[in-house]
Amino acid sequence: MTVKTQPWSLLEEASDRDWENGTVLCRALDLFCESQGARAAAVFVEGQNGYELVQGSQASKFASLLPAGAELLELPGRFRLAVDGDQPLRHPPDAPIALLLSAAARLQRLHERLKEQEFAENYKVVTLEALYDVGLAVASTLDLEKLCEEILLRAVSLLDARRGAFYLADGGSYTLRGTIGGEARPSLPHDDPGLQALEPGAGTERCGLDLLPGARFPLTVAIAYKGKTKGLLAVADKESRTGVGPFSEPDRRALELFATQAAIALENANLHRQALEKERLEREMQLAAEIQRGILPARMPSSSALEIVGWNRPTRQVGGDYYGSVSLHGGALGVVVADVTGKGMPAALLVATLHSALHLLLEKREPNADLLATLNQHIAESSSSNKFITMILVDVDPRADALGYLNAGHNPGLVIRPDGSVEELRASGLPLGLLRGATYEYRRVPFHPGDLVCLYSDGITECTSPDDEEFGEKRLVSFLRERRIEPLSEIIQELDEAVTRFAAGQPQGDDQTVVLLRRA
Amino acid sequence: MTDSLKLNVDRRDGVAVIYTDGYINNQGGEEIAKVAYELIDEGYKVLLLNLAGTKIVNSIGISILIEIIERMIEVEGRLAFCNLTPTIDKTFHIMGLAQYSSIFPDESTAVEQLG
Repeated sequence: MTVKTQPWSLLEEASDRDWENGTVLCRALDLFCESQGARAAAVFVEGQNGYELVQGSQASKFASLLPAGAELLELPGRFRLAVDGDQPLRHPPDAPIALLLSAAARLQRLHERLKEQEFAENYKVVTLEALYDVGLAVASTLDLEKLCEEILLRAVSLLDARRGAFYLADGGSYTLRGTIGGEARPSLPHDDPGLQALEPGAGTERCGLDLLPGARFPLTVAIAYKGKTKGLLAVADKESRTGVGPFSEPDRRALELFATQAAIALENANLHRQALEKERLEREMQLAAEIQRGILPARMPSSSALEIVGWNRPTRQVGGDYYGSVSLHGGALGVVVADVTGKGMPAALLVATLHSALHLLLEKREPNADLLATLNQHIAESSSSNKFITMILVDVDPRADALGYLNAGHNPGLVIRPDGSVEELRASGLPLGLLRGATYEYRRVPFHPGDLVCLYSDGITECTSPDDEEFGEKRLVSFLRERRIEPLSEIIQELDEAVTRFAAGQPQGDDQTVVLLRRA
Repeated sequence: MTDSLKLNVDRRDGVAVIYTDGYINNQGGEEIAKVAYELIDEGYKVLLLNLAGTKIVNSIGISILIEIIERMIEVEGRLAFCNLTPTIDKTFHIMGLAQYSSIFPDESTAVEQLG
């Protein structure tokens, strides 16, 4: 086998794949070594960092980058031949083998470049797909944790970053929500001086935040929505096969694009969370309103001897006013109107407490000063310090000519006599729950046929007109005096209309409750 | 969340399963290649990479996996993958890995079909 004929047979036998994967060049180098008596040889090409290995013979132990100063023989093109032997060659190999080595090296290099280009083209598709997927995730994923992870994973993988971290604004600081490739700073305050170097949505290499300790080439972007920073996305150390380096300008743009997507995603997830919270509160309020509807009477227990009507209009779905009746011992009836401080759910809960406590107490005891003191103690113990209840309770026996009453800091009840005179059922003690150990008085006033009693909450008298004038007790008394002989249901309806007319579209400031009773 | 790659190998009859846990980047890819080449030297012709513990692969990691596939083709062996996240599965298809390797939904299906 001679060097002159063997290269031709090598060419005849070689398949496409042999040319592509370096088999032809490797075998040509083996032939060359055999003919020259060398241990090994390798072809190098002049590159940016020196001579880079293209292919070695089978026994080659040449490194991928030839050490500076190593002896090389010229081959056609920019290729060089390194030989490992006892007698280094001082002249180029014969023309046929030199041409074969050069052609095989060139083909192998071309194939490698083609592969690299194909890889890069495919990876561009991966990048576009990733951006598209993140866009889809933005539109469809409302789980904040999942979104944070998705954005971090995509950003780190597409930028070939060795490390990454994702932070979310959380109260007064930014909190780490995910990290890849090593430790990251767990949190940083909103006023960290390093944040000043971050322009919303713009990637920067020099912010001095040190989010990824030990990183050599950090790149950080502030995730901002409408100018307000919602989080931070940090990557570091762009990988290559030979180590890590800084990120390129396209990398910075890609990170900024991710930050834009992340900002929309975070805002969407945040809005979704708020909507869910609102929905939950509305459901709770609906439930509370249903409970309260169960507590307030559908209709008051009128009889031929005693006519009673009640009416209530809360400002919110759930109110803080209460009215109702309780059967007392000896055939008497307790009628109550109460007003809890505040409105909404906390007030409604206290209304429920009052309702159950009052019914339990009146089941076994007479309405008197001691009962009210006990109720005060119970309310004080079961409510917060800023919550209290004003309440008026009248004790009516249609067979008796007097009614008893207890008033704990409530508006005075009104008794309109048939002659138009008015008697007030004034408070004898502090509102319930305001002061433990408070004392009260049980009082009695005459109650004859035709006497009209009105118990009401301050939502009626404190209803304001557009001129900021209150409806007031005087107007209420005058209204009742004029209609004292009308059917109670009509008086209630007219009072509702009068108050609404007086407010003239002003928003209702407080719950409104009225109970009217009249002895036949 | 994700630190450097951890590997475990289960040598079975005719197939070696490599379990990955973490980021397949340059370092992670090199570690997989080292283990894969050792298994090839031991005589294994069928390798299964179970990526259940991997959520992220970058381009360097993919290029190393392609090299392993090429090496497997040279020795007339076969490289297969299983338990890929949808993102990694899509990436492998776009990058052409699916053309020269097999992708299975789970390990039992893979082992059954590779055996």
